[in-house]
Amino acid sequence: MLAVSVSLKIPDNTAYTALVALRKLGVDVERIERSEILLFDDQDAGALVARITADERIFNPNKHRLSVLESAKPSWGEVWIEPIFGSGRGAVAWRLYNEHGAPVKRPVLEMAIERLLCNPAIDRAVTRDLFDRDNRNEDE
Amino acid sequence: MKARIAVPVFPGTNSEDETVRLLRDCGGDAELVHWTSAPALATYDAYVLSGGFAYEDRIRAGAIAAHDRIMDYVIEGAEYGKLVFGICNGAQILLEAGLVPGTGPIRRATAAFAKNAPEPHFVCRHVYLKLEIEPARCAITAALPPGALVPAWAAHSEGRLAASPEELERIVSDGHLAFAYAHADGRVDDAAVPNGSALRCAGLINRTGNVLAIMPHPERDGWNFNHLDRPSGDDVLAPSGGAALFRSFIEALS
Repeated sequence: MLAVSVSLKIPDNTAYTALVALRKLGVDVERIERSEILLFDDQDAGALVARITADERIFNPNKHRLSVLESAKPSWGEVWIEPIFGSGRGAVAWRLYNEHGAPVKRPVLEMAIERLLCNPAIDRAVTRDLFDRDNRNEDE
Repeated sequence: MKARIAVPVFPGTNSEDETVRLLRDCGGDAELVHWTSAPALATYDAYVLSGGFAYEDRIRAGAIAAHDRIMDYVIEGAEYGKLVFGICNGAQILLEAGLVPGTGPIRRATAAFAKNAPEPHFVCRHVYLKLEIEPARCAITAALPPGALVPAWAAHSEGRLAASPEELERIVSDGHLAFAYAHADGRVDDAAVPNGSALRCAGLINRTGNVLAIMPHPERDGWNFNHLDRPSGDDVLAPSGGAALFRSFIEALS
């Protein structure tokens, strides 16, 4: 499986709004990045990138930046918000950084998820810890 | 003295004028209160959160607005027993704020008006809301007849009630399902539902019945000129069916 991240290369007003709102809610975060995560069963990354960049419904070269992720799982300090209902394969990724430019620690990320980023009635929040735990359980 | 109604305006609200106009036409003393004047909300007796795209629906519909200072006053008022009525984006905000169905803590949503299904597209459709509770169960619907049909316009991309099976069961068993989508003859079935909403839900109330959240817009069917079934020749500026819910709201305040 390949995971592709599509983010804005223009200023991301939604990420900035989330940053301001989270600070007001007492979450200690300095910077936020947001991207859309798309999951594909493809094996050939080059062919996949060519296909996506040719599809103007999901990629506008004047507006978007695209990258193929090394692995289809969230990085540290990042949460993937996935819809619980529906058949879509993908998520919105939120990456939170502290004042030193490092990914925030787990308690900060969890606070951000609980207070704003995830509505548990309709969303599932997948963090690196959860991902590793679930996959370890599957392996066992 | 007449009860004073505030229609709070968030950045991105867009249905505030017709909401205030219909409240006034129904005899209410309604005013707009912008987000920059939030503390003034404490002096009002009731709140109507109108439709639009508060904070551009960033993150999720209603998610940022639910944490706005405006909502501090609305939540405090609701807990005090003031009437709170949310329409469309206003309803989404009330769910994000946890005021309806109100089965969890404040500002911890237990349900949402999520993206429409099966297609996650915007719908604009004339609909009927059927009252599914005893009218007196909710102060805002108390003056409606049992099983009342209220015409309105559904105009949203995120109007599908979504929650866990347990929460949906609670919504039914504890009497939170205020309105279901229906046909003009009162039949309630899936064909009447424009958005795939669970329980065919068009509106929810809280436990104490002073907070009502509905997705369709009765204020867009508030006068004959925007009522789809208007017989020709009617006075175009006369109130039409959607005004009934607003009149009931005003009556509850008097």
